[in-house]
Amino acid sequence: MASPVLLCVGLSHREVPIAVREQVAVSADDLPEKLRRLKAIPGVREAFLVSTCNRLEIFSVADSRTVADDLLREVGPAGAPHAVVRSDDDALTHLFRVAASLDSMVVGEAQILGQIKDAHETAKLHGAAGAYFARLMAKAQSAAKRVRTETQIARGAVSVASVAVQLARKVLGNLAGRTVLLVGAGEMAQLAARELHQSSASELLVANRSSARAEEIAREVAGVAVNLAELPALLERADVVLCSTGAREPVVTHEMMVRALKARRYRPAFLIDLALPRNVEPSVNELENVYVYDMDDLERVAAGNRELREQEVARAEEIVREELAALRKADRERSAVPVLARLREHAHGVAKSEVERTLAQLAALDEKQKKAVQAMASAIVNKLLHGPTSRLREEQGGPLAEAAAELFGLAEGPGADPVANPVANPPEGEAADVLPISGRK
Amino acid sequence: MLAARRPLCNQSEAMTTALVHIALSAYVAAAVFFLVWLVRPQRPAAPDATSRLVSAGRAMLLVGVVLHLASFAAARAQGGIATAGLGGDEWRGGQLFSLLAAVTVAGYLILDFRYKLPVAGAFVAPFTVAVMVPAHLVQTGARQFAPSLTHSAALALHVGAAALGSAALGLAFALSLLYLLGEKQIKNKHPGRLFSRLPSLDLIDRAGWRLSVWGFAFLSIAIATGSLVSKESTGASFPLQPKEGFAVLAWALLAALIQARLVAGWRGRRVALLVVAGFLLLVGTYAGLFAAPPQASTLSMLVPGGG
Repeated sequence: MASPVLLCVGLSHREVPIAVREQVAVSADDLPEKLRRLKAIPGVREAFLVSTCNRLEIFSVADSRTVADDLLREVGPAGAPHAVVRSDDDALTHLFRVAASLDSMVVGEAQILGQIKDAHETAKLHGAAGAYFARLMAKAQSAAKRVRTETQIARGAVSVASVAVQLARKVLGNLAGRTVLLVGAGEMAQLAARELHQSSASELLVANRSSARAEEIAREVAGVAVNLAELPALLERADVVLCSTGAREPVVTHEMMVRALKARRYRPAFLIDLALPRNVEPSVNELENVYVYDMDDLERVAAGNRELREQEVARAEEIVREELAALRKADRERSAVPVLARLREHAHGVAKSEVERTLAQLAALDEKQKKAVQAMASAIVNKLLHGPTSRLREEQGGPLAEAAAELFGLAEGPGADPVANPVANPPEGEAADVLPISGRK
Repeated sequence: MLAARRPLCNQSEAMTTALVHIALSAYVAAAVFFLVWLVRPQRPAAPDATSRLVSAGRAMLLVGVVLHLASFAAARAQGGIATAGLGGDEWRGGQLFSLLAAVTVAGYLILDFRYKLPVAGAFVAPFTVAVMVPAHLVQTGARQFAPSLTHSAALALHVGAAALGSAALGLAFALSLLYLLGEKQIKNKHPGRLFSRLPSLDLIDRAGWRLSVWGFAFLSIAIATGSLVSKESTGASFPLQPKEGFAVLAWALLAALIQARLVAGWRGRRVALLVVAGFLLLVGTYAGLFAAPPQASTLSMLVPGGG
């Protein structure tokens, strides 16, 4: 059987604009079916899928790299031409960086770790992820927690919610006396709404398709539930509108906003669209005194934050490298143990068979003499293996363990299953195998 | 510089000139502080250094405007020569621009005290220097007022209102430019370096609106009193000259702007564009001073080379 590989196929805010991401996003309702399809792909051993506003990533342990083509099809026709395929060590590094929020739109934001954990738990629940990803996720979470506790990247205006509030202040100035309208139930929008309310915005209105849900969110964010059917009238009133519904069509249209703007006598309005697909028609931003920011736009502002925290990001990257090195070392140690066991088993097996053959020819020996011969053979094996065993233990496996396995024909065996650590020793030159699909050969 | 070119009449005039030159140096220093603050990268690690630059800029402007106004007082005390002139017998070239610069700086300091607008200081300080330098380096002869205007209250009111109106509209113009720049950056979602320095669009809009209203009020007074001054000096209440034409156009545009804001609720970008247009028309009024024949307008005597 070919050596299994760790694969990551996906795209993020770095590769594609929101217009593409909204076409490939997988909703929570569709996720179980998607996981079932991933698991059904021939050659896929384990898989999990992360779908957030900013990325769609499929992680998989597969029998071969060719499985990446099937995974790409799962990204969909709109996303596949832009998707990036990563394998082995590079896929592992990517997982760690994503979990540590180093690849996030707003570096240091805390939500991505929770989203990855949720994605993994869902995959476990549906039988798509198993022991391999369980171990990997534990390590990735540990690295992410170190990054948060040992660096300052999470400090300051680093969440999307904070950036949105900062922009609202840039347009509207003092938020005292302003009305905030929250449309939908997105977690990030709720965070932003809370922050706006805490910035002395006087009124927080919560509109939702379900009035019960609106009441529930309103209680959580200390707002007032309103009827979503009254949205045109609510737009006349609201200075900041936060949209995060799961609607497939725009909730706030150009025409609706034109009427609202006239009714509000051209008072400026700031619309934050955190939904995917977008809830606000892009052309609304062309209206005078109306400013619409979607997830991609917030990225541009967040880029400034990244610049300011370069040193902290460098330290966080260093932590991720340390954690990856620790994981690889542990994997090598794990891989060395079975090689040693098999080597000893092999040598003692050879000695035993040779002793038995010799003893059969020396029938005159009594039991004591036979035991002496057996002990001698065992001692010879032990003395011969002492040096190699010590070296293998010192080297913690790695190339030496592979060489020993190859030299003595020890590759087959229960401990040799590379699915346990497909990234322990990535082949030379394959670690940087990050090719956009268009660049694949 | 100027002192070397212009023969000093007496010790008092030398003091006046020295005050103006010190004020000009303070304006230059303020411009440097504000511009360094504007162009240097923002360093959150050293906010004190940033605020020190702004504080130094404000202090220099304050020192400059106090000395500048003191020079007007000194000139008035010595009988109207040099930089002051109001109520005296004659004006020297550039006096109006000098007065305009002083009033603009004073207006900015009040605005900054009220709204905290250091970014506008980065426009006002260099503008002041740009106005002051030619006003004091260009060598022009003193012009005598028409005898009927020597102690005309209407002239004093006219010049004062024109200076205050021009300063208010100049500041509104600067804020409108800032608004248009900031609005473009927010609209296009490409916040540049200026973005972090700018106050909110709402604050710029409100401050610009108030200045426009003040500018309109003073411009109305200046036009009305200008008509009286013109009648006193030439006999014609409203001579048809480019200066007057531009002034009336600027006034009409500002009136329309105020009407649109109050009745239709116009604000933001289109109001900023109207203020820019209004100020450019006002600049046309000053350009009209140069174009007008000496006898056609009283104020033609107040500009470098006028009359």
